[in-house]
Amino acid sequence: MSIRLEITDLKKVYAGNTPETVIDVFDGMNFSIQQGQIFSIVGPSGCGKTTLLRLIAGLEEKTSGGILLDGKSLTGCDEQVGMVFQEYALFPWRKLVENIEVALEIKGVDAAVRRTMAMQYVRDFGLEGFENAFPKELSGGMKQRVAIARTLIANPQVVLMDEPFGSLDSQTRNVMQEFLLKIWEERKDTILFVTHNVDEAVYVGDRIAVLSPRPAGILKIFDVGLDRPRNRTGKEENRIKSDILQLLNASAAVRPPS
Amino acid sequence: MKRSVLMLLFLALLVVGPAAHFAGASESPIRMAVLQSDIHQLAFWVALEKGFFTKNGVSVDLVGVFKAGPEIMTAFSAGELDMAYVGEAPATTAVANKAANVVVVAQVNTEGSALVIAKDNTAIKSLADLKGKMVAIPGHSTVQDFLLRKALKNARLNPASVNIIVLKPPEMISALRTGQIDAFIAWEPHPSKAATMGVGQNLATSGGMWPGHPCCVLVTDKGFIAKQAEKVRAVVAAHVQATDYIYHNAEEAITIGVKSTGMDEATVRKAMQNVHFTYEINVEGEKEYVRFLSELGLIRIDNPDGFVDQFLQPKILRDILHQ
Amino acid sequence: MKGKRIIPPIMLLLLWQLLSATGVIPAFKLPSPVQVAAGLADLIGTGMPPGHLLHLHVYYSLQRVLLGYALALATAVPLGLLMGWSRTVCAMIEPLVEIVRPIPPLAWIPLSILWFGIGIKSAAFIIFLGAFFPILLNTINGVRGIEPVLIEAARMLNAGRRFFFLNVLVPGAMPSILTGMRIGIGVGWMSLVAAEFTGVRQGYGLGYMIMTARDIQRSDEIIAGMLVIGAIGLGIDACLQLAERYLIRWR
Repeated sequence: MSIRLEITDLKKVYAGNTPETVIDVFDGMNFSIQQGQIFSIVGPSGCGKTTLLRLIAGLEEKTSGGILLDGKSLTGCDEQVGMVFQEYALFPWRKLVENIEVALEIKGVDAAVRRTMAMQYVRDFGLEGFENAFPKELSGGMKQRVAIARTLIANPQVVLMDEPFGSLDSQTRNVMQEFLLKIWEERKDTILFVTHNVDEAVYVGDRIAVLSPRPAGILKIFDVGLDRPRNRTGKEENRIKSDILQLLNASAAVRPPS
Repeated sequence: MKRSVLMLLFLALLVVGPAAHFAGASESPIRMAVLQSDIHQLAFWVALEKGFFTKNGVSVDLVGVFKAGPEIMTAFSAGELDMAYVGEAPATTAVANKAANVVVVAQVNTEGSALVIAKDNTAIKSLADLKGKMVAIPGHSTVQDFLLRKALKNARLNPASVNIIVLKPPEMISALRTGQIDAFIAWEPHPSKAATMGVGQNLATSGGMWPGHPCCVLVTDKGFIAKQAEKVRAVVAAHVQATDYIYHNAEEAITIGVKSTGMDEATVRKAMQNVHFTYEINVEGEKEYVRFLSELGLIRIDNPDGFVDQFLQPKILRDILHQ
Repeated sequence: MKGKRIIPPIMLLLLWQLLSATGVIPAFKLPSPVQVAAGLADLIGTGMPPGHLLHLHVYYSLQRVLLGYALALATAVPLGLLMGWSRTVCAMIEPLVEIVRPIPPLAWIPLSILWFGIGIKSAAFIIFLGAFFPILLNTINGVRGIEPVLIEAARMLNAGRRFFFLNVLVPGAMPSILTGMRIGIGVGWMSLVAAEFTGVRQGYGLGYMIMTARDIQRSDEIIAGMLVIGAIGLGIDACLQLAERYLIRWR
């Protein structure tokens, strides 16, 4: 399988007015993601996981380093990169199905065609009956499903997910993880999944990168190598979890989160 | 602590109360009003300047200089005025519509308005040419409104075929100059001002439209004359003296006119030629007003003659003139 | 429950009638409700000035307000969207806005007549000035109030400028725009009466009607006219509220 996304020597510095206020977010980050993989990133809060996603998304500018998609350099907001936000970010004035079909509308796809395609997602994602509801009427889990559908309908090469289930309660969270995996099994999208929840990272990811506190660097990349569906309380899973937690605790002791 | 404050207040009231009462009871000036820049009401300014009010034993407080008659009548309603120089038409309307309760004790002037067209206007040569044109009046139910309609009827023109709009007289001149209106009718000195500015020319004077028509009158609040008839008498006497003075001292009158209207000498001189200052009350003229206002539907009076009898009170004037 | 809201005004009316009928409030200071009702009947049937009926005054006044308001909408909304979105544009235009805004629309009347003559254009201009600033300011706030994450989501979905403008900025700012619109029509309608004091063509307009009633001291008609003006203002606002309820039913 080929490398879909490659990060080389990525640096991000927020220049402040005084030397004290200069923020060094990463100091040369390197990793790559294979096509069709779910790549999890865990790290302490404030370490810059979200900033990393935003750089790849093109929402912020990197200071130096390389971001390559299928070998080509990414600049700005590329339409081949999709993003699912923690706050869902659905357009409140659009009905459910209208939210899903936005990307197609922007591409200029004919109204009837895009409606049909969007309705397919409505059915596949278990949202039938709610296609004409406004986001204010939907539950958190439903909203996130819409957000994912909205991103996937454009068939991006890379899907960035920034703590997508962070706003949900743990029951719904588990349901959504399974939902995501089910979708992924069929589509095999390349997903970069940021979370601070180690359980989630292990349940969902093929590979897991553990970040150190700011300035963040990759402490270790774990290859999970376990078949799905995984056991949330299985021996192998727990071993990986405790390794990750040990790593996180150790790095926190050396460099407490600032 | 509280008790001493109360005691102090009580004492203060004891002192202030009677003092205020006495201060009020002693010679309180008569509250009067006139119209702004209206040469018709020159007698008031002459009386003030020459001290005729004081010579007749009263002091006058000019409470307000108003822009139009209806505003003076509103001030009467509010109880703010004792006497005023005001147009006969707005006074009639206010009393007929039971908004104010005043009576006329003397005439102030007859005639003294003019219908003005643009200086370089060659299209309008007679009143009949006003058909379809835009003419400004100072207000509905004013003397000028009546004059215009009467003149149009005499020229066999339906007033409805003329575009009549309401403007304040100072705005009329600039509206004429910029061509927004084709003509206006207003009291002196505005027509004369338009002439001296080179902006307008008279199409007709009010004397030409209705010879000897009454214009401004001296009115007093009914409650005031009931309680203080001597004061009213004093003011009427001063008014008579001032009116006579204008005739015998034309140049000085012009100077006072310039001061009171704020207009230049040439304008005031020209304006005064168009005004007939008099104090004799014109009864027939008032009856015509009442007819006119009723016809237009602006007032509703069951007994027009009875109304005029009540409204015009020439008794004080006659007493003064017989002496 | 809706019926209960009518009780206070009705009680007020009864109290007013009582005070007038017993002479506590003299008729020439404030006519009684019955007299005002009669005055309203006169305005409808006889007209003020006589011959100029109420419904025509309403028609002409509405015309003037509509023209001024439409102009205000057409200029303030696009400008507000632009200024809300672009800091540079805002910095350039804002000083001018802040200087002109505090000047009351009525102060413009002499200039307005000079520029536009006596007629619907000068009246519409006054109303335009009254309605423009609330709409502009609320539109700017509306744009600034759009959640930044929505803007980012649109960027990620590859939205072009046109889509962005029509499908993100406009609906996102819509709640504020509608608020501005309601305030704007309120100010515009209020400015109308004074704008019509200074001379109207054809002799029609609610402000003109009241001014004439004032000239001949018909306070019953003055108050009836004021009530008509108030009622129409209320009606317009109710319509806007209905529109608002539909347009932002997603909230």
